[in-house]
Amino acid sequence: MIEYNTDDQSEIGSGGDFSVKVIGVGGAGANVLDRMALEGSEEAELLTLNTDLRALSTSVSSNKIQLGATLLKGMGAGGDPELGKQAALEAVDEIRNAVRGYKMVFVSAGLGGGTGSGAAPEVCRIAKEEGVFLVVFCTLPFTFEGKRRMDQALEALDTISGYANAVITFDNDRMGELIVPKDGVTEAFAAADKIISQSVRATMNVVADPGIIRIGMDDLLSALDAEDSRCLFGYGVAKGDSRAHEAIEQALKCPLLDKGKLLENARNVMVQVSGGDSMTLFEVELVMQEVSKHIGDKTQILFGTGTDKRLGSALSVTVISSLNGPRRGHGGDDDGGSPPPARISSVPSSVATAAAAAQTAPQSPLAEAVSAAEAVEKKPELAPAAPPVSRSAGAPEETSEPEAEVASEVESEPEPVAAAPEPDPVDPDPEPVAPEPPVVAAEPEPEPEPVAAATEPEPVPVAPALPVVEAPVAPPEIEPEPEPAPPVLEDESPVEPEEEHFEEEDVVAEEEAPSVLNPQIQSQSRTVVDPEIQRRPVVQAPMQLVTNPIAQAFGAGEPEQEEELEQVVSPPAKKQVVPPPRRAPRPLTPFASDDESLIEVDSPETDSVVANLDNSQKIRLTRIVPGETGTQRVSAKADDTGGQPVQPEKKRIVRKKVAAKSAAPTPPAEQEATPPVVESAGSQEMLPLDPGSKGRFEKTDPTIVDGEDLDVPTFLRKRKK
Amino acid sequence: MARSSIYVGLEIGTSKICVVVGEVRSDGAIKILGVGHHPSAGVRKGEIVDAETAQTCLHDALVKAEDRSDVMVKNVFLAVTGAHIEGLNNRGTIRVADDQTEITEEDLEEVKEIARDVSLPKENAYIHSIIQHYYVDGQEKVLNPVGMLGQTLEADYHIIHGVKTRIQNAIRCVREVPLEVEDIVFGPIAASQVVLNREAKQQGALLIDIGGGTTDYVCYSEGAVVASGCIGVGGDHITNDLSMVLKIPLARAERLKVEHGSANVNHSAEGDVIDLEADSHFAGSKIEKRLVSEIMAARLEELFMHVRENLDAEGLLERLGKGIYLTGGTSLMRGIDDLAQEIFEVPVQRNELASMSGPAALFENPQYATPVGLIRYAQLLEEQRPRAGGIGGLFGRIFGGK
Repeated sequence: MIEYNTDDQSEIGSGGDFSVKVIGVGGAGANVLDRMALEGSEEAELLTLNTDLRALSTSVSSNKIQLGATLLKGMGAGGDPELGKQAALEAVDEIRNAVRGYKMVFVSAGLGGGTGSGAAPEVCRIAKEEGVFLVVFCTLPFTFEGKRRMDQALEALDTISGYANAVITFDNDRMGELIVPKDGVTEAFAAADKIISQSVRATMNVVADPGIIRIGMDDLLSALDAEDSRCLFGYGVAKGDSRAHEAIEQALKCPLLDKGKLLENARNVMVQVSGGDSMTLFEVELVMQEVSKHIGDKTQILFGTGTDKRLGSALSVTVISSLNGPRRGHGGDDDGGSPPPARISSVPSSVATAAAAAQTAPQSPLAEAVSAAEAVEKKPELAPAAPPVSRSAGAPEETSEPEAEVASEVESEPEPVAAAPEPDPVDPDPEPVAPEPPVVAAEPEPEPEPVAAATEPEPVPVAPALPVVEAPVAPPEIEPEPEPAPPVLEDESPVEPEEEHFEEEDVVAEEEAPSVLNPQIQSQSRTVVDPEIQRRPVVQAPMQLVTNPIAQAFGAGEPEQEEELEQVVSPPAKKQVVPPPRRAPRPLTPFASDDESLIEVDSPETDSVVANLDNSQKIRLTRIVPGETGTQRVSAKADDTGGQPVQPEKKRIVRKKVAAKSAAPTPPAEQEATPPVVESAGSQEMLPLDPGSKGRFEKTDPTIVDGEDLDVPTFLRKRKK
Repeated sequence: MARSSIYVGLEIGTSKICVVVGEVRSDGAIKILGVGHHPSAGVRKGEIVDAETAQTCLHDALVKAEDRSDVMVKNVFLAVTGAHIEGLNNRGTIRVADDQTEITEEDLEEVKEIARDVSLPKENAYIHSIIQHYYVDGQEKVLNPVGMLGQTLEADYHIIHGVKTRIQNAIRCVREVPLEVEDIVFGPIAASQVVLNREAKQQGALLIDIGGGTTDYVCYSEGAVVASGCIGVGGDHITNDLSMVLKIPLARAERLKVEHGSANVNHSAEGDVIDLEADSHFAGSKIEKRLVSEIMAARLEELFMHVRENLDAEGLLERLGKGIYLTGGTSLMRGIDDLAQEIFEVPVQRNELASMSGPAALFENPQYATPVGLIRYAQLLEEQRPRAGGIGGLFGRIFGGK
């Protein structure tokens, strides 16, 4: 499977090399650093600067520089910024060395005191001279500390703003509100430190982890782009059912955002949503909806999302923006305007698939959609059918982002690619297809393992199901071939839809077979195929998946059933092996004639679902003969569909005929057609929608609670389980 | 308040439209002057889907009510429901200005504004904001903080909100009749005014109003609304279930439900058979009574479980001192109280309406709890209005007690 290396996207290398430095200046700054160190910060190097030797010695950060060792002799600056400044100047070389070579420096300081207001501006100046990207986090003193200190703080802030790329200020007065009044002083300050350290970390993450939808330094800059360079910052993280809601609520509750009210005037708002693998697209949407409530029409949202395994089941929301008076209205709109297209283009492939998947199946968790590929990858562990699996994984991505992605895939999977271009004409295609059954045959060995899989509902090695029967013929070398075949088909599919789609049908079915379990993948498969012509095959594909397990169950589990299966399936399979030569010359017609006629009967082109139904019904009929599990399901199904005004009779007859034909030595195409049909039966039952069973509520808004459609009689739903 | 005033409650339900004209006497007693009801059409799951049909039905009901009460109805209180309506709790906090020590009415207004400032989905609008309790500097459960000394004032509000346009549609439909809508009230809030007495609200009670298309609930604890909500499942679903599973026409299913239905599976012995006689549309069949019960019980059980889940999240079930009150048409079903008791594990009572003068027989029917409740609601609203700026004790607490 192809991995898209997202690391390349991060502007400051993530991982081993420390290119981020966090500097705490003065007592308050050191506290923030301590908090960061406590919470563990592998990503950045911490440096504490202080004049007060005692305070410095208790700091837990990895590096420390004493300011004004000779001037102040280890004492504090005593609230005099001038002293603080002199002290910093004394250590200017050390500071310069400390920041040299870093791409990004965060400075955290508590303004108002001597060291904070005196030394911090100097540190910033030095850092700026070294050409780093400088983000300053500073606190403004409490009002009760007096006007003088506030003036000192504001003056320092002014100076700092001149140097820093971004300044994020925390008003201590406001911090007070964040904390429950009953809390002790220690907790209060701890909470304040925590907020700052959170914001440092969040900013760092935003820039260091590109995420699925990339958001980076440029976004940060444009979000922070404002004259007074003071920031609005909100951060929330939450777990549990309503985590999206809670996280954004927390973020907006951050004192800096004043419940989101301050966002209204912001010109650019940067929002990053990240969560573990379980984060769903819906949650992201929820967060964004919430955010959009608080911002004006003119505001540009710079949006990023990514999954971060460290978050586990939590979801975090970071909101960064700049305080922007009305005076600056839309001045910078142009610079804000350009980023979005760029961002879109830079969306990694996985996002595209995720988005596509989301469209088809909006309820599927985002992460799953995105990591469907990963999931599939894992499956090989369970089942030996690795090659097909990897193929299926690749497929959705490929199709959803045809241009760039295909190219990249080609690189990663040289073999198939090579195969792909050649088969261009339709004729060669059938070849790979035809051999496929034998390929499967090569895998009889896996069977025992699949058995395990079969007991689970997940028949990962779908391929084996068919092939098992066909086993005798299989040449082992063919195995590689299936791999090439699918990509080829899909690549071509856009080009020559008509002819290929038949083949695709087969191929897709086989490809997807491994992913029987994942409804997502099914939905993805839809995205794979081009809208109209290919829809039919696609629909069938999922069906195949489901039935395969059954077939497997027979094949794997009980010998008796195997026999039965052989009766039904195996003869066609053998025939299949025979036909390939025939088909090769005239790939289109054989398929088209038999196969298509079938399909045509089943499904009018426009209404694929109905086609499904019909199919499944027919399939049921055919299947009832062999399987116990199968029959059970069938009966349940029959109930539901019974209510619907489908014309089952006729079609069943047709199908029966077909089945009969296939039993007899008829053209290969039909046989091919029949097995998939059989397979398609099961999938229908897996589909969440159960048409025809809602009675009078058929046309109303569905009442869906906890994923169950309450309009369907509880009694029926229960019985199904 | 030495005058008597006449209020009209209107409920457009999924199964019936009901207009109740009531007179509130100067002594505060309510007399029901007349009631008009008509089976409704064009309403699904508590919401109007076909305005014209619904209006016709509404008009019929209105005419009946006007005839019987001899009152020209111009303004109505409209009960709304629908699965889109949700309740949530939020707390607002303000710091009283430094130079001011006593908490004033304005502070209450402000804290209310803040408490209401929850982030609703964009398309949603407030239906009710109901005060639960105030907290002054951490002191809990202050009923009336005005005049108290304090720095921090907090208020817990229960906010009921729903999709704006869906509510507006109901209002618009009524306006076209034409009737003026004086206020909209979430159904169970109205019903609870007559079903729950002060004691029940104080000790904790859950009102479940199972109507035709929806099931609404409201939970009281310590005199305040602590939870409310609506699930889009009601008696019609049961009928539909019976019809679907037993494969009988809807009309027969409805009759079967009313005549033989029971939510308690034990009520029917194994082998009891109901004989559905044939008619022109139906071939007739024999149906096992037990199966009917099973179908109904499955539906109701699921419904109760959903309500329970919503309350369990906040641990409210333990606070139901007075247990559960069932109301709405479906609460007439046999065995439903047993089933509810089984699921909620608290005492369950069928609805008993508080006493009221007028054609009493009618109001003992739980189907009328909501429209009659609307009258009570209107009365409370009226009582509270002149006081709002004054003594203020009851301000905003109108739903808390009676």
